[in-house]
Amino acid sequence: MINNAQSEQYQKLTQELRRGILVLAALSQLKEEKYGYSLISSLAEKGLDIDQGTLYPLLRRLEDQGLLQSEWNVDGSRPRRYYQINPEGSRVLDDLEADWRDLTNVMEKLLAA
Amino acid sequence: MSLLDRYIHEVGRFLPRKERADILTELKSSVVDTLEDRYGNEPDQAQTAEFLKELGTPRDVAASYHPQGQYLLGPALYPLFRMVAGIVIAAVLGAQLLAWGIGIFVAGDPFSPLEMLASLINSVPASLGWVLITFLILQYFDAKPDLGEEPWDPNTLPEINPEQDLKRGELVTGLVFGTLFLVLVTLFPQWIGFITTPGGKFYPNPVILDYLVLIQVSLLANILMEIYLLWRGRWDNLTRFIKLGLEGFSIVILALLVQGHTVWLAARSSGGIFDALEAISTMSDGGWELVGMHAFRLGFTVALIVTVIELIVSIYRLLKSKLSPDEMPVVVIRKND
Repeated sequence: MINNAQSEQYQKLTQELRRGILVLAALSQLKEEKYGYSLISSLAEKGLDIDQGTLYPLLRRLEDQGLLQSEWNVDGSRPRRYYQINPEGSRVLDDLEADWRDLTNVMEKLLAA
Repeated sequence: MSLLDRYIHEVGRFLPRKERADILTELKSSVVDTLEDRYGNEPDQAQTAEFLKELGTPRDVAASYHPQGQYLLGPALYPLFRMVAGIVIAAVLGAQLLAWGIGIFVAGDPFSPLEMLASLINSVPASLGWVLITFLILQYFDAKPDLGEEPWDPNTLPEINPEQDLKRGELVTGLVFGTLFLVLVTLFPQWIGFITTPGGKFYPNPVILDYLVLIQVSLLANILMEIYLLWRGRWDNLTRFIKLGLEGFSIVILALLVQGHTVWLAARSSGGIFDALEAISTMSDGGWELVGMHAFRLGFTVALIVTVIELIVSIYRLLKSKLSPDEMPVVVIRKND
């Protein structure tokens, strides 16, 4: 019972930890255009699993915020929506990347102590 | 229709019409991609069901596109909603009480607590519902209220002082009864008095009528101060001084009322309430007038004593609030490694 509760708590904490990096992760992979599933696969190949229910709403939000652009491609076997980072998104990505490097440096020091 | 189509259709039921087609096309395309990747080109129903179960219920999937859709009213408008709802409920209650008062005292309607309760049960939720609908429309159009708030400065944070905290319940109760009483003495001053029995004749209190203007001014000033306090949210030196002044004014009025009753009774040679009770046996009606006026004098005397005590408490609080910031102990616990 205690283990279950601890495990549930751990799940929540790790989800919270990962949630913060998803924007950076998604933006970093959209320098070239990708559709949703190809982005999921690309992230998974590099070791970051993200489910559809999290990724698609995130992509729409980033597009609403003016960081991504998207267009439908109906040439293939089924219609696919392709996303790509735009100039404003690239600027944000650069800033976020710098923040991330600072953060990882700080965390390395904190965890080493 | 395939299981996947049924699933997609069901997700669509929980999505806004504007975005529905776009989201569903993308979702279906992505689910097919995943199914093909996992199970090959022709996944069977069991495999599809297994994946859809993993994906989540249609309601949850739809909700993930609109996290703000999980709230009836989002946090941007909620504080303003609370404020407006409070004002509207207070206004509805006030109007209802006034309508009952006029109905009972002017039109002579019978006093019926059950009917009053029933109309409250109708009017309060209905008015709250209209406020909510208005706010839902504002939210739909993404309206952002500009409350004209100045940039927040932490230096303006008030000192921690429990003595300055308001007892909102007391204030609101005072406000409601004060307003009702003001309405009563302004609109129906002739109804302040007592019924003499036997005979059931209504006798207006002549002393109160003499000091009516002073009573109205005092009530109005108290109401205005209570509204200001509710708006300000806490006591400060200015409001405490104003309260002292108003209590002093109330004491003067109450003393005048007690004195007025004493003079009125002395003019009728009624020294005490027992004389008045004795007079009942000899007079048919006037005795009851004396008893009524004695009762009023007693009531005003009690009110005078209570107000004097309140004044003393107010002075004590004022002095204490002036001293307390310096008296507050500051304890810092530092954990040494």
